[in-house]
Amino acid sequence: MALSSPARRGSRVRRQLPTSPWLFAAPGLLVTAAFVLYPFVSTVVNSFTDRRTLIPGHFVGLANYREMLHDDAFWIALRNSTLYVLGVVPALVVLPLLLALLVQKHIPGIAFFRSAFYTPVVASIVVVGLIWVWLLDERGLVNSLLETLGASPVGFLSDQWLILLSAMTVTVWKGLGYYMIVYLAALANVPRELHEAAAVDGAGAVRRFLSVTVPAVRSTMVLVAALAAVSAFKVFSEVYLMAGPTGGPAGEDTTLVMLVQRSGTGLSGRVGYASAISVVVFVITVVLMLLVLRADRKDETQA
Amino acid sequence: MRISRRTLATAVAVAALLPLSACGSGNDDSSSGDASGKIEGNITFQTWNLRANFKSYFEGVIADFEQKYPGTHVKWVDQPAEGYADKLSAEAAGGTLPDVVNVSPDLAAPLAKAGLALDLDKDKAAAKYKSEYLPGAWSSTDIPGLPGTWAFPWYLNTGPLFYNKALFKEAGLNPDQPPKTYADLFKDGLQIAEKTDGKVATLANVPAIEDFGRYGVQLVNKEGTGFAFNDAKGVELLTKYKELYDAKALDPQALTATPESAGRKFLTGAVAMNPGSALDLKNFKTQAPSLYKNIGITDQITSTGHVNMYVQNLMVNAQSKQKPAAVAFAHFVTDAKNQMAFAKQVAIFPSTAGSLKDPYFTKEDGTDETRVRVAAAKSLKTAVNYTPVLFSDQMKTALQQEVAKALQGKESPKQALDNAVKACDQLLKQG
Repeated sequence: MALSSPARRGSRVRRQLPTSPWLFAAPGLLVTAAFVLYPFVSTVVNSFTDRRTLIPGHFVGLANYREMLHDDAFWIALRNSTLYVLGVVPALVVLPLLLALLVQKHIPGIAFFRSAFYTPVVASIVVVGLIWVWLLDERGLVNSLLETLGASPVGFLSDQWLILLSAMTVTVWKGLGYYMIVYLAALANVPRELHEAAAVDGAGAVRRFLSVTVPAVRSTMVLVAALAAVSAFKVFSEVYLMAGPTGGPAGEDTTLVMLVQRSGTGLSGRVGYASAISVVVFVITVVLMLLVLRADRKDETQA
Repeated sequence: MRISRRTLATAVAVAALLPLSACGSGNDDSSSGDASGKIEGNITFQTWNLRANFKSYFEGVIADFEQKYPGTHVKWVDQPAEGYADKLSAEAAGGTLPDVVNVSPDLAAPLAKAGLALDLDKDKAAAKYKSEYLPGAWSSTDIPGLPGTWAFPWYLNTGPLFYNKALFKEAGLNPDQPPKTYADLFKDGLQIAEKTDGKVATLANVPAIEDFGRYGVQLVNKEGTGFAFNDAKGVELLTKYKELYDAKALDPQALTATPESAGRKFLTGAVAMNPGSALDLKNFKTQAPSLYKNIGITDQITSTGHVNMYVQNLMVNAQSKQKPAAVAFAHFVTDAKNQMAFAKQVAIFPSTAGSLKDPYFTKEDGTDETRVRVAAAKSLKTAVNYTPVLFSDQMKTALQQEVAKALQGKESPKQALDNAVKACDQLLKQG
């Protein structure tokens, strides 16, 4: 409409302008306001109160945040969430790229492998988590295999570090397919001529990967790193399933989101304190995101 | 035109916030009127994991009630076993708590504190039923510092200790002589671990608050204002458990176990003993027939002579719009006749006065089932619900975590219990 003769219909168009965009956006805005903005604002407000599940709270200022500083459980959870990011992100940046290179080729039947690698992404995390719990159980499949090989059973689900490592493995295994698809899209944009030119210059497969492929998909790698970091920092299901509601032996595997769940839910849940932890999680995630994106920009200016 | 934009923006904001203002405020003190009016209207009745096995029983009770009081209609909803407290808190916060709710005393306490439970002592229609119940059952929801009765007593449950006879035999123990005392239990546990090279554990969970109670530990201080399970007895029990843990007589995953996961360990034969209830017998039969063939049943081990019992209650929602019908229904389900009928369906025990004197609970007929039932009914006369009403989920977690630290050797048993008591007292104060 804007393109067709504005002079003639100008007055009518201008009169509708202020309201009509809002009308178009209204359904989306309503949903966002109800399910994103309102809960967010109310979480921030609650974090300054001593509200409990069934008891409306009073304003307590920064008391929740001060308590957090002296709460061992919070520091353990922060440590675990951070370790999770450090453990999961490199794997999820590199492995899916290699996987994508593997299935990128046009070989008959390759579609089967692509969908096979993608299946874990579609599967429910709870179902997948439970299957892994059975596999890794003291008497599960993995340990029986180890025993037939003469090794003694490994406490995948009883040692605090192995629990965390097992959960990371599940996260990586489940995320591979998703990021593989992202990389496939990026790889399709790498000009074949570059590879040919490099090959003519005598570059081997490894050299071509490092000098052609990696620079071409670098911005995708940053994107993957950012997405993986944010979701790894907020991990809940995998660790909860592997470590149980207590968060591992003596709570040593609790992540920040598990701590929010544990302290904030139930009939005597401390909604105020749990909200304060949520706010901290939010701030850290935003900072994490900015750091990753900034690293990307710095690389570009250097390049 | 400027106005229209502003109006629209306001409308958007109002529309977005209006539906939400209904949420998050389950605390209006709108307890209007008592329950002495006419018994009519629609009420909702919520049970905790009972539909799967007792559908026809409840449908019968509801039909009888609706027939006795024409004009009433009862909608029955059932919730799964896991996550019931979360379900209740969501309902309470959202203002959708049913009229009659199945709770246990520790679930009733926070609801009562929030003003959501009808005080039966203060309600004329409800108070008159007091004499129908065992005094101990009627006072099961007593909360220190909050006088009142917050729910009708419903069924009582006490379970035996199940053990796997095949595993006992394997470890060179007499399968017909299960442990009777704690000393026996610890000795047998160590022997099973030793004989099976640590492959078979005896127990799948760490001691919970009721285990401390059963061992004779004083859980709450005399004034009821704080916890006291860090006494010498408590330390003694935890020290014994540490020996079991070090000898692999506790399942390696015990530190993170839930009652459900412990039950699964017993089903698969990974552990030799597990506490349970008669409900589990049915489970063994269908899910682990080979275990069922080898199942041994023995009494709970206590140092106090009082076994642990679990109490179930029916709470009437203080904000119910149909209070007369809700109170009448809660009483109807828990009256002597209906509790007795329920007890004949499954091995639970009525909380109504005199019911346990019924021949059904006193006369043996030679079968295993009856033997267990008669023994349990007898032990119930002196049974104690060890779990303190104010012991919240957060406190259970705090205790389990500290116990785990002691078992791992990161803290001494005394230190761990001191810390657990401190954490629980702190949580109690915040509540």
